[in-house]
Amino acid sequence: MTEPSAILTPEEMEPAVGLVRKVLDQLDRILLGRKELHRLVFIGILSKGHVLLEGLPGLGKTALVRTVGQILRLQFKRIQFTPDLMPGDVLGTHILQETGSGQRELVFQPGPVFTNLLLADEINRASPKTQSALLETMQENSVTLLGTTRPLPQPFFVLASQNPIELEGTYPLPEAQIDRFLFRLLFDQVDAEVLDRIISERRRGELPAADWQMGPAELEQLYRTMDRIYLPRPVARYIARLVSATHPGGAEAIEAVTRYVSYGASPRAAIAIAEAARGHALIHGRPSAGFEDVQAVAQPVLNHRLILNYQARFDRISATQLVRDLIGRLDETGLKLPGDVRVGTAMKS
Amino acid sequence: MNDSHARCLRAFVRRLSALLMFRGAVRWAAAWFYLWGVVVLAARVAGAGGASWLVLGLLGSIPVAVIAAGVVWRRQPAFNTLRAEYDRLNGCGGVVMSEEWGDMAAWQSRIPMPALPRLQWRSAGAMGSLGLSALFVAGALLLPERLTMVADGGRLEVGQLVEELRAEVKILEEEQLLEEEKAAELEEQLERLKEESSGLDPNRTWEALDHLQQANSDLARQAGEEALAKMSALTRSEVLTSALQAAAEAGLGEETATRAARDLAGMLEAAKFEEGLIDLELPEDLLSELEGLDQESMARLLKSIQFNKERLGKLAGKLAQLKLIDAELLAACEKAGKCPNTEGLAAFLCESGGDCDSFSALAASYGRGGINRGRGDAPMAWTDPSAEEGAKFKEEILPPAMRWSDAQLMGVSRAAPDQSGDDVVVEHGALAGARGAGGAAHSQTVLPRHQMAVRQFFAREE
Repeated sequence: MTEPSAILTPEEMEPAVGLVRKVLDQLDRILLGRKELHRLVFIGILSKGHVLLEGLPGLGKTALVRTVGQILRLQFKRIQFTPDLMPGDVLGTHILQETGSGQRELVFQPGPVFTNLLLADEINRASPKTQSALLETMQENSVTLLGTTRPLPQPFFVLASQNPIELEGTYPLPEAQIDRFLFRLLFDQVDAEVLDRIISERRRGELPAADWQMGPAELEQLYRTMDRIYLPRPVARYIARLVSATHPGGAEAIEAVTRYVSYGASPRAAIAIAEAARGHALIHGRPSAGFEDVQAVAQPVLNHRLILNYQARFDRISATQLVRDLIGRLDETGLKLPGDVRVGTAMKS
Repeated sequence: MNDSHARCLRAFVRRLSALLMFRGAVRWAAAWFYLWGVVVLAARVAGAGGASWLVLGLLGSIPVAVIAAGVVWRRQPAFNTLRAEYDRLNGCGGVVMSEEWGDMAAWQSRIPMPALPRLQWRSAGAMGSLGLSALFVAGALLLPERLTMVADGGRLEVGQLVEELRAEVKILEEEQLLEEEKAAELEEQLERLKEESSGLDPNRTWEALDHLQQANSDLARQAGEEALAKMSALTRSEVLTSALQAAAEAGLGEETATRAARDLAGMLEAAKFEEGLIDLELPEDLLSELEGLDQESMARLLKSIQFNKERLGKLAGKLAQLKLIDAELLAACEKAGKCPNTEGLAAFLCESGGDCDSFSALAASYGRGGINRGRGDAPMAWTDPSAEEGAKFKEEILPPAMRWSDAQLMGVSRAAPDQSGDDVVVEHGALAGARGAGGAAHSQTVLPRHQMAVRQFFAREE
């Protein structure tokens, strides 16, 4: 963990907070009814993480990704994953071309992965081989073909989507790949009021254009601010304890974890929580991450990283439910007070 | 950081520390009370010492509580942890926690107002335990002795009583009131009682010891009464012997001296000094030739009598010292050993000894005068009359006399007094409680002014 050079002052933080507010305002204006989701997606971008969007068709997953790319003025590409999609269709391939001198040589033709914002639509429809093609890109931000490593343009985000109900002909994401996603965000149905607004205000559902866009310099400024968001030691300790408690053998693992979890979250999850908590603090205009920031982002970070056993499936226990129980049961500060002594919420004098 | 937040954080840390220290002190004090209660119970069951130093143990709870508070102080949560807790409870979003890295004063207006976190201690358990432990100690201290004795299944403190009984047996053996074999048997029995005495069945031990004590006491009383009787006989013999000795020097007639010596011999023989528990030794040769006693023999006899009296006196003293005989018996024994002035008896023997029928009776009654001078047929005494001064009569409360003021007028009639059918019961005097038979035994009080009327009523014509 890289410590910031100094605590941000309110004056230093104010421009970044203003930028964040503008981005979120744009998102909320263009896409109706998903404010919380917009914030989590933007936290993922601030954390330079990849996001897995899970929801039924027609809920606006693609629209969200497209709008984000539009607001951030990032290059956007979309891949529709199908069972016959090959790795070369994603990463790019070498093709034989004739040069001006009449010679023929293999020329690399970049795939759609060479972009800033990649929408991997219905990623679970591709074969594991094709899915695995994204492993290096997501972790290393580079593509290696025929011994040549080519860096991807920065920033690089993958926003993948998958359909949770059409399981026929799909291939579940391998654990190694799913662990590379910072968040797994669930798209719920919007309520009638939002639907009414969509029908009334959007002709054929067309999205309005963004009236403000962020430039690369401003995005870089946000990243610099993110780097200076301070993560206090007790909060870092809380993240470590939380991730450790997802393991069945963890010291503070609750009974449900011991019973239903086969494998807990990886260290990558702890890093992801720390980064996402910083992003959450930035969105809320604070120079440091607190316990509430961790709790706000822990659910989407952890819910796809717990590998549950068959007992959990029999008892209809979900990872989301386990993570919620864990957060509720784990003491934030680790303050070990005697059982008969309690510290309650502060009273305003 | 905001000054108010800093103050609030310090107050929170201080209050939490104080609460934890107080809680620790209460719990440790309760544990100490329980421990001390067990020590008190064990000490009392074991019979170790009085309760004073046990009460002092209660004061030990104070240093224990202080030590507990110190230990809790050393183990209290780290300041960083408490600061994090304060940050969380105040919703400061890590700003207060970030004080560990830098000055957050610039953010003071952007975080919630400081508020002191609420501390809650469910003290019912700890305070209840403290109260129970205090009651336990108090109960252990105030537990009746007999209950602790019951708890002591193997010990019964009878050592002092056994020693007293052993001393009694030893004295009785020394005075030859108890045979050696019997004394040895009693010693062994006492030792066995001491070893086998049990707190679970104390009655058995106490009954056995009471039996031994009663046996010793009975034997001693018997010896005391025998000593009293023999002392009286010796005293009478001494009186007569001394009088005869003095009278012989004053010219007592030979015939009178012979009769007196014969009576003396009879007295000594009748006393049967060699029988009973106390075997007194008088010279056999003197007893056999008592009729012809000369002055030297009389002196030897007198000396022997006095020696035996002295021995009996010492025996009575020892028995009284061990409280085997009461002070009354000892006093009677001492009184019986005192001889009156024998010069008067000697003078009487010289003057009118020839008329005396029984010298032994004379010796027995000599000096036995009283304030009432005795009955009419009582033997004469030749001592000075006893002084009435200082004599104390036994007080007796007499029943109240019937007073005229208490009388109730039932009516005045010229007819004979009407006797009711109810039984009349005499309330006072020797006939108290006796019932009259048909009214004949009851005497009516006749007032003086009615005497004439009564006399006329019963008048018989001649």
